[in-house]
Amino acid sequence: MKCTDIEQQSLLYIHDELAPGERADLEAHVAACESCRRGLEQARRLDQLLRDCPRPEPAPELLVMCRQSLDEALDREQLGWRGLFRSFVWHFGTLPATRATAILTLLVFGFGLGWTIRPHLTALQPVTTGDNSSAFDAADLNDVRIRSISQVAPDPRSGGVRITLDAERRVTLEGSLDDPHIRQVLVDAVKGYDNPGIRRDTLDVLRARTQDPSVREALMYALHDGNPGVRLAALQTVGSMECGPDTHAGLLKVVENDTNVGVRTAAIDTLVRHLEEEGPDEMVTATFERLANTDQNPSVRMRCLAALRNLQGSDAR
Amino acid sequence: MDGACLELAGKAFTSGQAEEEVERSLIRRAQRGDRAAFEGLVRRYDQEVLRMALRIVPSAEEAQDLYQEAFLKVYRSIGRFRLESKFSTWLYRVVMNVCLDHLRRQKTRNETQMPEGGDGQPDFAHTIPEERPLLNPERALETQQIGARLQAAMTRLSPRERMVFELKHCQGMKLRAIGELCGTSEEAAKNSLFRALQKLRGDLQDLV
Repeated sequence: MKCTDIEQQSLLYIHDELAPGERADLEAHVAACESCRRGLEQARRLDQLLRDCPRPEPAPELLVMCRQSLDEALDREQLGWRGLFRSFVWHFGTLPATRATAILTLLVFGFGLGWTIRPHLTALQPVTTGDNSSAFDAADLNDVRIRSISQVAPDPRSGGVRITLDAERRVTLEGSLDDPHIRQVLVDAVKGYDNPGIRRDTLDVLRARTQDPSVREALMYALHDGNPGVRLAALQTVGSMECGPDTHAGLLKVVENDTNVGVRTAAIDTLVRHLEEEGPDEMVTATFERLANTDQNPSVRMRCLAALRNLQGSDAR
Repeated sequence: MDGACLELAGKAFTSGQAEEEVERSLIRRAQRGDRAAFEGLVRRYDQEVLRMALRIVPSAEEAQDLYQEAFLKVYRSIGRFRLESKFSTWLYRVVMNVCLDHLRRQKTRNETQMPEGGDGQPDFAHTIPEERPLLNPERALETQQIGARLQAAMTRLSPRERMVFELKHCQGMKLRAIGELCGTSEEAAKNSLFRALQKLRGDLQDLV
């Protein structure tokens, strides 16, 4: 092996990408060549430097935003022509060949018929039927989420077209947070809705009614939400409300058990803010002392130490 | 848990096999248009996808765009995914193609500058390191400055060099696997890695 080969080979050597024979050759060469040994050492130092560099980690808030915007994009995707086409193709593909041929023939016939009568078609007309389907104006289509289209047929009586679809109508509720029904919808959203962005927005709204027992219960529930961004939002709201021993116990659970270090340290800060106003709590102090000595995470240990110092300072004052 | 077994449909599964079976079931349901199943797949991998995007592009907005574009592509083409191969490999290939296209477009527009904070340094406010070296503030500042220089040096790599470096250095992948992921040979991946490390060494010479 020549010195000119060593530069590339040493990079591959430290990344464990050399074959055993090549490794042995390189090690033998480096043992005998001072200049290549220095080159290898420099490559090792560069590798170590690159490994020590802090790598960007996604913030929980960014992940929440990403999931929310993807959710909205998927909504648009599903309701657009692409989604309907995909759904149609899949259902069509699962049918037996004879039935699929019959449907295709009918579709071609229907399209031909529609094309023939197209001069007679006017704007989309509202429809009323005797079955469960409801009538709506074309303008209402903006508020409707179409789940599937079960029938598209020309209407010989009106010369128009009849579309039968399964849809969910979007409903907007307006009311005061004093209304228990409105509060219940929001509490249910915090506890059960699967979109973390909505859960987070709901917590922001509920911040104004933290004295209500059902809202307090929902907040304590959200402290253990599956999404760290939602847990952080719940902590912020809990931080702004009047607390009691039950709240301290709930926050301590987060400090001790949450899987996200950012959420744990935020819970420590929330507890400190409360205790500075409400006075000492032995259970909290004892937990902070224990975690300051034994917690595996250095950030948590440091934050508990700082919290104990803060609390001792506020006691002295 | 690796050694743990559970009984599923009359067959003995290790936890790893059971996990794979759950994923395959999610994929099959997603292929039939089940949105909840697709979201289940997204939740399994989206943190890693976002982490990859943040390593490739410097701003949170761009990373968010890449995240969305990648998962929309997966959503549109999941029907064509064959269950013989690993879903994660297929997904990362999609992510990587989206990232490469983005970097190429950016290069064409000559807009590869880092977004800057008020002090002229790259703005990393959108990222939260989980473990901060709180014990030694000087060391913390030094590490942060080296990180900023590395990010700046990364912008001078070509899209493929940057991608190969990230996959090797951060994901710890073998060059052969990187070559397969990039649709190129192991030798070409090796050359890209070598060029990337040479450029980085040139930019960070005074630190090594």
